[in-house]
Amino acid sequence: MSKHPSYFGVFLTFARNSLIRDMTFRANFIIEAISSMSWMIMNLGFYTLVYRFTPNIADWDKYEFFVFISTTMFVNSLVQTFFMPNAQELSELVRTGGLDFALVKPIDTQFLVSLRRVNWSSLGNFFVALLLLAYCVPRIEGLELTVWQMLLYPLYVFLGVLILYSVMITLAATSIWLGRNQSLYDFWFYITNFSRYPMEIYEGSWGTPLRQLFTFVIPILVVINVPARFMAKPLSVDYALLAAFAVLATILCLVGSRWVFKRALWSYRSASS
Amino acid sequence: MSAIEIHGLEKSYRVYQKKEGLRASLTGLFQRDYHDVHAVRGIDLDVEQGEFVAFLGPNGAGKTTTLKLLSGVISPSGGEAHVLGHVPWKRENEYRRRFALVMGQKNQLWWDLPAQESFQLHQKIYRIDPDDFRRTRDELVDLLEVRHLLGQPVRELSLGERMKMELTAALLHSPDVLFLDEPTIGLDVVAQHNVQKFLKHYQTERKITILLTSHYMKDVAALCRRVVIIAHGEIMYDGSLAGIIDSFSGHKILSLQFADGRMPSDLARYGDVLEIVEPKARLRVDRGSIADVLSSVLASYTIEDISVEDPPLEEVIAEMFARSAEKKQVEPVGAGVTSLESDDPARS
Amino acid sequence: MLVRVQTWWTILRICLEERLVYRGDFALGTLMRFLPIVTQIFLWTAVFAAAGSGRIGSYTRDEIVAYYLLTMLARAFSSMPGLASGIGRQVRDGEIKKFLIQPINLVGFLLLARIAHKLVYYAVAAAPFALVYYVCRDYFPGWPEGEVFAAFLLSLVLAFLVGFFLECSMGMISFWFLEVSSLLFVYMLFTFFFSGHMFPLEILPEPWLTIVNFMPFKYLAYFPAAVFLGKVQGLEMVHGLMIQSGWVVFFMITSRWLMHRGFHRYSGFGG
Repeated sequence: MSKHPSYFGVFLTFARNSLIRDMTFRANFIIEAISSMSWMIMNLGFYTLVYRFTPNIADWDKYEFFVFISTTMFVNSLVQTFFMPNAQELSELVRTGGLDFALVKPIDTQFLVSLRRVNWSSLGNFFVALLLLAYCVPRIEGLELTVWQMLLYPLYVFLGVLILYSVMITLAATSIWLGRNQSLYDFWFYITNFSRYPMEIYEGSWGTPLRQLFTFVIPILVVINVPARFMAKPLSVDYALLAAFAVLATILCLVGSRWVFKRALWSYRSASS
Repeated sequence: MSAIEIHGLEKSYRVYQKKEGLRASLTGLFQRDYHDVHAVRGIDLDVEQGEFVAFLGPNGAGKTTTLKLLSGVISPSGGEAHVLGHVPWKRENEYRRRFALVMGQKNQLWWDLPAQESFQLHQKIYRIDPDDFRRTRDELVDLLEVRHLLGQPVRELSLGERMKMELTAALLHSPDVLFLDEPTIGLDVVAQHNVQKFLKHYQTERKITILLTSHYMKDVAALCRRVVIIAHGEIMYDGSLAGIIDSFSGHKILSLQFADGRMPSDLARYGDVLEIVEPKARLRVDRGSIADVLSSVLASYTIEDISVEDPPLEEVIAEMFARSAEKKQVEPVGAGVTSLESDDPARS
Repeated sequence: MLVRVQTWWTILRICLEERLVYRGDFALGTLMRFLPIVTQIFLWTAVFAAAGSGRIGSYTRDEIVAYYLLTMLARAFSSMPGLASGIGRQVRDGEIKKFLIQPINLVGFLLLARIAHKLVYYAVAAAPFALVYYVCRDYFPGWPEGEVFAAFLLSLVLAFLVGFFLECSMGMISFWFLEVSSLLFVYMLFTFFFSGHMFPLEILPEPWLTIVNFMPFKYLAYFPAAVFLGKVQGLEMVHGLMIQSGWVVFFMITSRWLMHRGFHRYSGFGG
């Protein structure tokens, strides 16, 4: 009798268990929520300051840029809530032999390992981002919000999250080969650092190849740029093309990362007892 | 078809040497020594459904590696195995649903949550019918006497209680095969006894196939009729406990109590003298010559009490390992091979 | 004296070995720390492109890039990873007891350990730093004059001391509040923003500018960078150095005072 587990049901249980756990460490929960929000607020402060000296950054006006920032917040809060704790825990699982237990369960290992923990405290940023978005969008000159934008924006935010997830899980999978590797996570942080800015700033003899690299090879620039542009700027032909590419990129990333993950599991050595 | 069939199973690892000292650390940046560890060197084994088999062996013998191969956690370097008709390292869901793995001193339950929440998760993952789930869970927690602890966070439980919870979790989906890796390690005597009692009862009732690894004699003696001794990655013996002594021990222990306070001084000609506490003596005598020695001693001296015993099982087995180590000219197990983990610069 | 030096050498050697165990981690990690500067260069180029006047505050684009590179250097002196949390941990675990009974001064010991740590770090990080600075040499407005350079070096050492004693004082608070991680986090955020690590502090509007001038944080990153770039000159520079030294003394006294009060309170528990 081959009964597959209900993946959605299992995920709900993960979410529920994580919530129960987070609630037992209430103080920690609050601190983490506040700290991630403070970081975001500092960033806002910085850009408010910068915009006192310049009317735009690479063709993005102040409020358009803030839409960009809120998109960053949406994507990051989702990644940090659902995937980050699991990626970090993967190397712990490898080290303690906990991955063995994951491998004997009749459920897809990547699913189990990626969604086991939900870090509810990071969702605070999501709501701050909503507030910011609600504040900024009306203030963009000449912007008339269409239904298309309102539908495509969350979709592309979601695709962006999936792309970042793929990069993350690929890096985490290497910890199955390499054991604990802190610099790999730093690597993730530094790489995604590039994605936090409008891709137009990458110009010139160094900038353009960098932009190509991060659009077509490791498509992280697509993650935030595409949805932000959808929301804040009028549609243009090359942007529509980029958006189509974004869909392709997401699929390729997911497939690629799954292949890496499966390869890593295949050569898993397991800790000695 | 047997429940478990293994032919020529092999597993080898490459281990990188870490040397001490500043210079070595620097050169280690560019080039490293390594050697290959053969954890499992060709194992053949058949286990029928319903058998309770123990793997006995020293640390590093390959028992846990074999168990991990059979549960699909790792894949072999050579050979084949089938459990319940499946190839374990293919990790098919149909297979994974039918067995369970429990490892001593390793927790799979959520640490900060009460065990019952982890059980709920199990139910969802294994898709256990809610009624079956409730019934099985109640049966198990009653048998193990942990019902009152269900609502307590796992981190607050004692080692013994945690192991009982782990066992419960493992058996919730009524597996056909159970793999136990050193389940009683680190537990106090009472807890060990409880776990053994439970396993015996469960196995007799349900007739599931159990593979248990241990280096405790007591686990084995209490639970299994069939013992497989593994050392240096190979099976050295496969049969009953009693049979081990017959097959491997070349000696018997002769205990003598002399009358009239007269202790002979030349006992050494009969065999190795183990202990002399007047008026008693204990000798280790070659099996083949025991009859002659007995008749000679009885004829030469007045004996008040005499007994002929097998040497303790642990001794026999230890001797067996030592002999096999010599034969292979392998280093004594444990030295040199620091770990079987993949190379990790962040770990010492 | 000789024994002291020997101890120092042993600590140093052990630290170095320990760090080298993290082989691949280490080489890569140091270089990667400079990656955010790349994005900053692009960002500021775009900002200046639209700003029109070629200067923001008193900084040209090249100067801002040089500023970031210099604050990284200053942070290499003034950041104290794990100092406060380490003290917190020792208090929690009871390890702190040994400082009550042994004739070792806690603050002194920590200072020594931290100096050893930093020396090791500089020794190994010098190459990546030098490489990056060489590659980016065009962004720098040239070497400052002898005395300015001397002042710069002095400010770096003082930045180390301010950073050390400040964070040491923060750590002492764990004698009163066992869970200091929240406080530490707020402190870290403050440091990051108000030390000038994120942007040159002089572009802050009032009243923020005045507030920042009264806080010690600017001496952790902004001040040394500003000295090197000639943004703080002559008398102002000397004043700055004096205030920086003042903060050193202030936190040195504070940390020792807190330590004594803390021990007092701790031994009251009879742990």
